[in-house]
Amino acid sequence: MGDKKKQKMTPEQQQYQELEQKHELKRPVVKNCIKAFLVGGLICTIGQAITYFYIYFFNFTEQTAGNPTVATMIFLSMLLTGFGVYDHIGQFAGAGSAVPVTGFGNSVISAAIEHRTEGFVLGVGGNMFKLAGSVILFGVFAAFVVALVKTLLTMMGVL
Amino acid sequence: MMNMKQAVNLLAILIMLGAGTAGCTSFGKTSPESRASMIQSVNPDPGATNDLDEKDIKLAKKVKKDIAALDEIYDVAVITGKKEILVAYKVKHLKRFGMKRIEKEINKKLEKNYPDEDFIVSSDYKIFIEAVELRERMKDPSFPDKKAEEQLQRIISLKKELT
Repeated sequence: MGDKKKQKMTPEQQQYQELEQKHELKRPVVKNCIKAFLVGGLICTIGQAITYFYIYFFNFTEQTAGNPTVATMIFLSMLLTGFGVYDHIGQFAGAGSAVPVTGFGNSVISAAIEHRTEGFVLGVGGNMFKLAGSVILFGVFAAFVVALVKTLLTMMGVL
Repeated sequence: MMNMKQAVNLLAILIMLGAGTAGCTSFGKTSPESRASMIQSVNPDPGATNDLDEKDIKLAKKVKKDIAALDEIYDVAVITGKKEILVAYKVKHLKRFGMKRIEKEINKKLEKNYPDEDFIVSSDYKIFIEAVELRERMKDPSFPDKKAEEQLQRIISLKKELT
């Protein structure tokens, strides 16, 4: 914590902070990172295998195989979430399972399952994109900004 | 934390997923060369859809020699068609960062050495696999030239596809 923030606190608050720091469990950051790296890498390896599957058996090139691969990975993670397996993967790997596109499928289905008791329309329908909505919003916005920058650069003759 | 049984279940599911995707390679296309081309260098012979035309074959061989001379490339397939010449190549793994530069270099080289020819250049695995597959089929004397040309045009249209 910064010194400035500490100065603003009352003596009681400072005392509480010290007490809290004494009892707080240390997070195994390195261990978590290694777990996330391994599981995230494994998910990406499976994705790469699926890409090669689409390239070899269907008329997809390296450039076009990305779309069906993403769809397949999301579908698989949705199935695994429904079966209750992805939760365990998430608990074990943390960001390793949330950052790849499979984490998106998990966030959609887990929200749908959570609100199932509230009905199909206002429960599942209304809350399905509670977590994934921000991903879609910022994804679309980022794509818009990148496209804008590229169009400007192309118009200026840089690209 | 997961208990032992859950961990075993998880491992089993992951192995099934892996085996499922890996097992799929055992069916489908028949040519062992095209299958091998996914992971290793197969060095396919250069060819022409009109295999009676000595000039076309000679040109394909020359183009292949020119492109294979580049350091970053480890496998080149060249097929000469009626109008276009298809050049598919694979870039060494760590050199893939410079794919665009390599493609530019190849285009420049081909334009300089063969100003009258029309080249279709691709570093895509799919185009390479299809080129190897077509080359394998063309080795069969009963495979008609017209069909070979059709197949080549199909590969070229696949290369131009963007979505």
